[in-house]
Amino acid sequence: MVKVIKSAEFDQVENSKAAVVDFSATWCGPCHMMAPVLDKLSDDMAGKMDFFNMDVDENPDMASRFGITSIPCLIIFQDGKEVKRSVGFLPEQAIKPVLEEFAK
Amino acid sequence: MGRYDIAIIGTGPAGLEAAITATIRNKSVLLLGSAQLSEKINKAHLVKNYLGLPETGGEKLKRAFLDHINELGIQITDARVSNVYSMGDYFALQTGDINNMLEARTVILATGVSQTSTLDGEERLLGRGVSYCATCDAPLYKGKRVAVIGYSPAQEEEADFLAEVASSVIYFPVYKGDINVKPQVKVIREKPVSIRQDLRGFAVVTATGEYQADGTFVLRESIAPDKLVPGLELDGNHVKVDLNMRTNIPGLYAAGDVTGTPYQYIKAAGQGNVASLSAVSYLAEQDRK
Repeated sequence: MVKVIKSAEFDQVENSKAAVVDFSATWCGPCHMMAPVLDKLSDDMAGKMDFFNMDVDENPDMASRFGITSIPCLIIFQDGKEVKRSVGFLPEQAIKPVLEEFAK
Repeated sequence: MGRYDIAIIGTGPAGLEAAITATIRNKSVLLLGSAQLSEKINKAHLVKNYLGLPETGGEKLKRAFLDHINELGIQITDARVSNVYSMGDYFALQTGDINNMLEARTVILATGVSQTSTLDGEERLLGRGVSYCATCDAPLYKGKRVAVIGYSPAQEEEADFLAEVASSVIYFPVYKGDINVKPQVKVIREKPVSIRQDLRGFAVVTATGEYQADGTFVLRESIAPDKLVPGLELDGNHVKVDLNMRTNIPGLYAAGDVTGTPYQYIKAAGQGNVASLSAVSYLAEQDRK
């Protein structure tokens, strides 16, 4: 399950050992297509990585803080620090190895 | 509109042959591409080595191809695919509006080769200010300044669309002829050389000037295969395939010029046939599960 969070709840990402945040928007086609892929991965990798989603329209401060200019944008955090970012849709077989590299 | 068995992108000889083979094998086929077939065939002078059609000019080849697909009741859906999403057990194809994705269980890429090279800075800044899709990223530039580099008249529509969202749009046409855009779109007839982002900001650089913008849309007629299909493995500029025209993505195949040299019609048709049969075989395998 991917947890939808707002700016005020970002501490959940900072407190996680390994987390991935999906920055998306309701009008974004590729984001829409990526959602089920991430949902499945969140179940497959439960316990190894925390999955979050943040809407860039509702949380423009976060979009600005992370310099998000194109979505979907996946940012992987380890102990609250950004370690990897990926822009655009990716199929499950391409995302999984990247997430596993940074998992707990 | 349900989920097709096979979606074929491209109406050159590779795509057409793939559609013919798939139809004969009773698969539901979605053939996407120009109703004018390929630009290449329209310009071809004389083809001497196409089996069964010796010394044939482009016009005659085109008619022969069209007659063949018409005979089998195969229709061309004249739409431009901007993205192919590999969802695991099916593929979603975007032809503009995000609310109208087309779906297919397998896909054959027969998109040909493009002659235009990328601009300096374009690939490096992709996703960080450079975008290939106006429909996808327009809202991110609401109230901002946008530059559009258009490689064909079809992109003028995209510039107009962006003008509805952005605070200003400057349009660089990389082609000759009259430009028909809305009055608020500023046309700059200078050829872009590079796209730059540094402490000064983001700009499109031409031979004679520099134009500041918050982002740039680079709109070509065809999209590079790895941009069209995220996650697709390439071999140089071509799609990497095995002898069965399989790519690294299960259920996705490639045929024709997009797989590499030799760039020949008869090779393309042959590969279209193989790709189609591989897709048919894959579908049978999936159905058995």
